[in-house]
Amino acid sequence: MLKSILFKSVLLITALSILGACSSDDDTVTPAVTTLETKIYVNLHAPQTGVQGQPAGGPFTKFSFSENAIVTSNNWDIAFRGTTIIVNGGGLIGISDEPARTGSGAVSIVSNTLNAVTAIPSVSSFVQDGPGVYAIPTGSGNGWFSYNAIANLITPIAGKIFVVKTNNGKYAKMEIISYYKDAPANPVSTGETRYYTFRYVYQPNGTTF
Amino acid sequence: MAQVATDSVKKNQLQEVVVTGTRTERSVATLPLPTQIITGEAIKKSGLSRLNEIIQEQTGLITVPSFGGGDGIQMQGLDSSYVMILIDGQPLFGRSAGTLDLSRISVNNIDRIEIVKGASSCLYGSEALAGVVNIITKKPKITDKLKGNGIYKIETFNTQDASVSLEYGKKKISVELFGNYFKTDGYNLSESDFLQTVEPNSNLTVQPKLKIDFSDKLNFTFNSRFYNQVQDYKSEIGLLKYTGQSKINEWNNSILGNQTVSEAFKLVYDFYATNYKADEYLNNQNQQLFDESNYNQWFYRPEVRSHYKLGKNTLSSGIGINYETLDRTYFDRKAKLNSEYVFAQFEWFVQQKWNVLFGFRYDNHHQYQSQFSPKIGINYKLNDNFSIKSSIGYGYKAPDLRQLYFDFTNSAIGYTVLGYNVAQEKLETLVSQGQILFTNGFAFSAPLKPESSLNFNFGGYYKKNKISFDYNFFYNTIQNLIDTRAIAQKTSGQNVFSYFNVDKIFTYGLEFNTTYKTSANVTLSAGYQYLIAKDQSVIEKIERGEVFARDATTLSSFKLKTSDYVGLYNRSAHTANIKINYLVPSIKTSINARLFYRSKYGIFDANSNNILDKYDTFVKGYFLSNITINKDFKNQFSWQVGINNLLDYTDKKNITNLPGRQFFTRVQFQF
Repeated sequence: MLKSILFKSVLLITALSILGACSSDDDTVTPAVTTLETKIYVNLHAPQTGVQGQPAGGPFTKFSFSENAIVTSNNWDIAFRGTTIIVNGGGLIGISDEPARTGSGAVSIVSNTLNAVTAIPSVSSFVQDGPGVYAIPTGSGNGWFSYNAIANLITPIAGKIFVVKTNNGKYAKMEIISYYKDAPANPVSTGETRYYTFRYVYQPNGTTF
Repeated sequence: MAQVATDSVKKNQLQEVVVTGTRTERSVATLPLPTQIITGEAIKKSGLSRLNEIIQEQTGLITVPSFGGGDGIQMQGLDSSYVMILIDGQPLFGRSAGTLDLSRISVNNIDRIEIVKGASSCLYGSEALAGVVNIITKKPKITDKLKGNGIYKIETFNTQDASVSLEYGKKKISVELFGNYFKTDGYNLSESDFLQTVEPNSNLTVQPKLKIDFSDKLNFTFNSRFYNQVQDYKSEIGLLKYTGQSKINEWNNSILGNQTVSEAFKLVYDFYATNYKADEYLNNQNQQLFDESNYNQWFYRPEVRSHYKLGKNTLSSGIGINYETLDRTYFDRKAKLNSEYVFAQFEWFVQQKWNVLFGFRYDNHHQYQSQFSPKIGINYKLNDNFSIKSSIGYGYKAPDLRQLYFDFTNSAIGYTVLGYNVAQEKLETLVSQGQILFTNGFAFSAPLKPESSLNFNFGGYYKKNKISFDYNFFYNTIQNLIDTRAIAQKTSGQNVFSYFNVDKIFTYGLEFNTTYKTSANVTLSAGYQYLIAKDQSVIEKIERGEVFARDATTLSSFKLKTSDYVGLYNRSAHTANIKINYLVPSIKTSINARLFYRSKYGIFDANSNNILDKYDTFVKGYFLSNITINKDFKNQFSWQVGINNLLDYTDKKNITNLPGRQFFTRVQFQF
């Protein structure tokens, strides 16, 4: 019951945010908008090829905060493949099938709640991808998730907020809330994975959230 | 150890005498340390056959199933790796994954089990940080004729347990021989058709003893114990199935000499050698060898102790050498640990009412920091029935050889665990092989420190006619706790771990036990422990606002409060037991019923903030009940029937060492 209410509200929020995105052109006229909208993106599918023990491959799913959508153009800010997340800034890490970095994107990982992050963190805390360097560290407990071997579940670490510098120098703050399809409150190990649900706030023209 | 002055001290039948707390014979009433005794009689009445089953019926002792297999003891809220297990005063080895499997030990030849809670490193050195469990087996005696007994028990899961013991002693020589065979089909709580929770296993124990009295003043006892265990071993990796076997061979041998130099001065010569060998292998479906591992640990310890009586007071001292080697798969070289030690202890009876126990031990270690472990205990007799006691002690646990020398890569998942002393070198090799994506910048320059603890106890002991009780408030704090940290990440995405001195934990609580004999035929007893066990560094992190959890409906993160923190895994705030023994003399039948309660506890972090908080999921609190009916016949023959886990409580997912209801019957014959 609770699950279906959640799912419906997630759908509603998504629908509202899509409507919001459609009308966003009108907003540019009045840049003095004080309240930024918290959006939720549900079920960003981030498949990968390669099984256990083999190198991961396949295209990354690229996401644009300004478009609130999966994109195939260079206007992406972050991209997902399995549990790996990359930013559109810096250089190639050296993994298979990764897209070229065309923007000035970077990420700063902050320990806080999404609402409590109001300022852009210091410039020095922003990290870009590069040879052998992941801006968002991979592996359980290092970056955004932890893997529980007993329950066989991947869970986003609570309180990990990514302040993302977008490919064209804007900012967004985001929190990943689930890796399982439809973001169930209590995922099971047999649930479908590689479906990111995240909540975010995009700041098109300011330096505070 | 019990041999110290055994021949000269007359055993007072009314006072329970223990040896573990001081290595001299002391009555429980005057001993300033929290001590528990499980008598051979209580073990017999319970009808249980393995040590883990007995231990989990005691107040404040919880058996915790470990990953490496087998149950370890949690004592005063501290893990099983901090509890030293002794058989007749000699330490057991074979903690391949930190836990010593208690089901290895048959209880059929046990005279009594002594449990001393709180840091006991002042006498026993490393490992005795939380306390000591000393299993005291029956001693060879002058019997003048052959005596013995046989026990056979059969139980659910096709579990069979058979024991024979023989004793004979004449003039100056006495011998005792004990043999036990145990076999079980195991049980399965999992959904797998291939893997069982406990695979079929069998084991054999042979324990011969020989005592020679050379004169009134000199005797020697030769103790041996052989143990062999065979268990099916299976594994499932992906869709592939592997089968094999694991084997344990253990050998303990001690020579103990007691010399009475004068009425006041006694010497004990103690030489102990033990070997624990575990080998396991897995074959693939084509019966080709897929994986094997070996573990071969040796330990030698010569020790000399002296006991000097000054009136009522006793000055004891000892000197000895520990030499330990471990050769195992996942070590690239044979690891050695050696140390020399001295200890001294003074039992001081001040006037009528006070007695004080001072002790210390100094371990000169060659592989890590040397340790000085002092302890002081005070006992004050308020009146003939009631005494209060308090003690403060230092305990430590040296890094074990695995924490120093491990070089292990999991074949199924691919993570690597490196011992601290080899981590730097091994990591460099992995880097040069191009296996490492990045390192987390840990340094290995300063040696890994022993874990150390401070322990406080404050309690009382009361005994009058039909009623007795004891209580104890305890507090333990462990510094330099050793835990794993990820030191690097492999290109495969898996981590490389090593061991570090990380944080500080503390436990505190209250233990209470009481026994009441309502009549000659009815004995009631009850026990309760309240426990809090937490990690200090987690509390500090929460205070700094660095720990979060997720709201169950919105899935958004929020900051945790310190009151949301529950504590360490596998700790129950409340554990309790009630035991009744009811004898019906007319039909020589007794009923022994025991009821246990354990309150809820957490076993894993469900919400991935690396701590156990009130938003995690918990293992539900539960009751267990065991009942045994004992009937004595003529000619020293007795028959028992019993049910363990009468309420048939199981939690298949979370409690792997709790199968459902089990029925048993047991016969015992003495001659």
